[in-house]
Amino acid sequence: MENVDLLHVEYWKPFAQFGLTNHFFNINKETIISTWILLGLLLIIVLSIRFLLQSNYPTAKFVIIRFVDWFATISIQTLGRFYFNHFALVTALFIFIFASSLLALIPGIEEPTKDINTTLALGLISFLYIQAYTIKEYGLYGYIQKEFMTPLMMLPLHIIGKFATIISISFRLFGNIFGGATISNIYFNATQSYWLAQTLALGTGLNLTILLFFGIFEGFLQAFVFSMLTLTYLSISLEAEHEIEAAS
Amino acid sequence: MNDMAELLHYATIALTISVPAIGVGIGEGLTGIAATEAINRQPKAQSDILKLSVLCMALIETAAIMGAAISMMLLFDRSHQSTLYASIAQMGIVLAICIPGFVVGVVSSFPAQQACNAVARQPFFAQKILRFTLITLSILQTPIIFGFLIALLIKSNAYAITSYAQSLQMLAAGLCIGIGSIGPSNGMAQFAKTACAGLGLNRNAYNQLFAFTIVSEAIIETPIIFAVVIALLIATYPPDSTGTISLLKGIALLSAGVCTGLGTIGPGISSGKTAAAACHEIAKNPDHYHLVSKISMFAQGLIDTGAIYALIISVWLILWT
Repeated sequence: MENVDLLHVEYWKPFAQFGLTNHFFNINKETIISTWILLGLLLIIVLSIRFLLQSNYPTAKFVIIRFVDWFATISIQTLGRFYFNHFALVTALFIFIFASSLLALIPGIEEPTKDINTTLALGLISFLYIQAYTIKEYGLYGYIQKEFMTPLMMLPLHIIGKFATIISISFRLFGNIFGGATISNIYFNATQSYWLAQTLALGTGLNLTILLFFGIFEGFLQAFVFSMLTLTYLSISLEAEHEIEAAS
Repeated sequence: MNDMAELLHYATIALTISVPAIGVGIGEGLTGIAATEAINRQPKAQSDILKLSVLCMALIETAAIMGAAISMMLLFDRSHQSTLYASIAQMGIVLAICIPGFVVGVVSSFPAQQACNAVARQPFFAQKILRFTLITLSILQTPIIFGFLIALLIKSNAYAITSYAQSLQMLAAGLCIGIGSIGPSNGMAQFAKTACAGLGLNRNAYNQLFAFTIVSEAIIETPIIFAVVIALLIATYPPDSTGTISLLKGIALLSAGVCTGLGTIGPGISSGKTAAAACHEIAKNPDHYHLVSKISMFAQGLIDTGAIYALIISVWLILWT
């Protein structure tokens, strides 16, 4: 079995000629390429869904509407009532993360969520959206008072807690996807080195099981966890509003 | 000197597979007992209970498979001469695989047992209970995946080591993820157990319990994520210009690993218990889902601050000592 080099990544260094050789300016080649491929595919899928909804294909319509309905039910359950913006953001996050795990099924392309930069960006998106929405709802002063000053003594703790949510939400996605990808990589390397092992793995369906579990199932689960966590943090931020609604 | 290195190397190979195997054995045995009891209680649901218990056992076995994979990779990797430094560093692999493997192997059987009972109670709901149990169990396996990652990292770094301080560094990474996974795994299992039992109590609460379980398990495992971050930081701490690190730095890294590892035990268990209580209430009365879940998440967020303190101290120890 080969030695697996975990942290080896090929970098583009477009800013190196200007003297900027810090790690901050490096660009991960695979991530950039696969993200753009993913975005292109998602655009095609969205356009075709739009076409399908306008035409008469009952099965396709049914599937699409069931998916939207399922997510709408979940967001109503968590937030108390239907907010279109939150619903759209959370569904988009779900589709992006799930589709990026599915992308790894195409040979030669790695999933973008395997890179910590992608997951950190996704975590930042969800975090900043929640903060921006809370500021919009309560005003800047109300936001500071609500989020940081509930007891004034706890101010540093609240600030650290905010950063910890970004770390936990992005490293959870990264660790799971990266771990699954590494394990299936090691497995495929090990079986491909010997013809008997390869035949056995193909014949018993072990290959398919590994792909199904680490590629599709784990990807679906992590995408769902990510979007549900975003919804939950949102619902915690919107706490006071519901109490007023419930009282009136 | 060299004999000692060989001894430690082979002890690593043996321990990495055997200790998770003990845990997995206990866990599968408990699941089997619960399945037989459930079949005895509800013989008509025999095929459903059988299917459930076999699939659960297959998932519980992940721990042993990971241990076997690492063990084989160490065994077949003949390209390096083992030195004492590398062998001590490899004991980090033992810690990173064995502790999560043993704990998760035993602990994953709790939800599986309750799921068998739930199917015996509600045979017509078996399909959804099966799906639910498989999802909870596969989230429960994440500590092993993280331990496996850290073990691989230690393995790829081990042979480049030239001093005892660096051996300590690798040991610290393994210790961090190893101890760090005990508490959260226990908490998650306690929670998953209550969730599966709740499904048997009230099947109308399925939709609420499904969403609540996934989010709660994700929040309970947050301390493990902190442990993984610290373990990654420790294992990838760069050597200075002489190609090694000072002994003092090695000790600081070791204490950073122990700090986060021990810091996660309490928060993991108690946040699991909080979520389990909330889950029981939701199963009894699904209409209160919105209120109960919010209180539970808020409490879990506060409980996690204990782990966050440990995280900050560890980051400080790693970066600025």
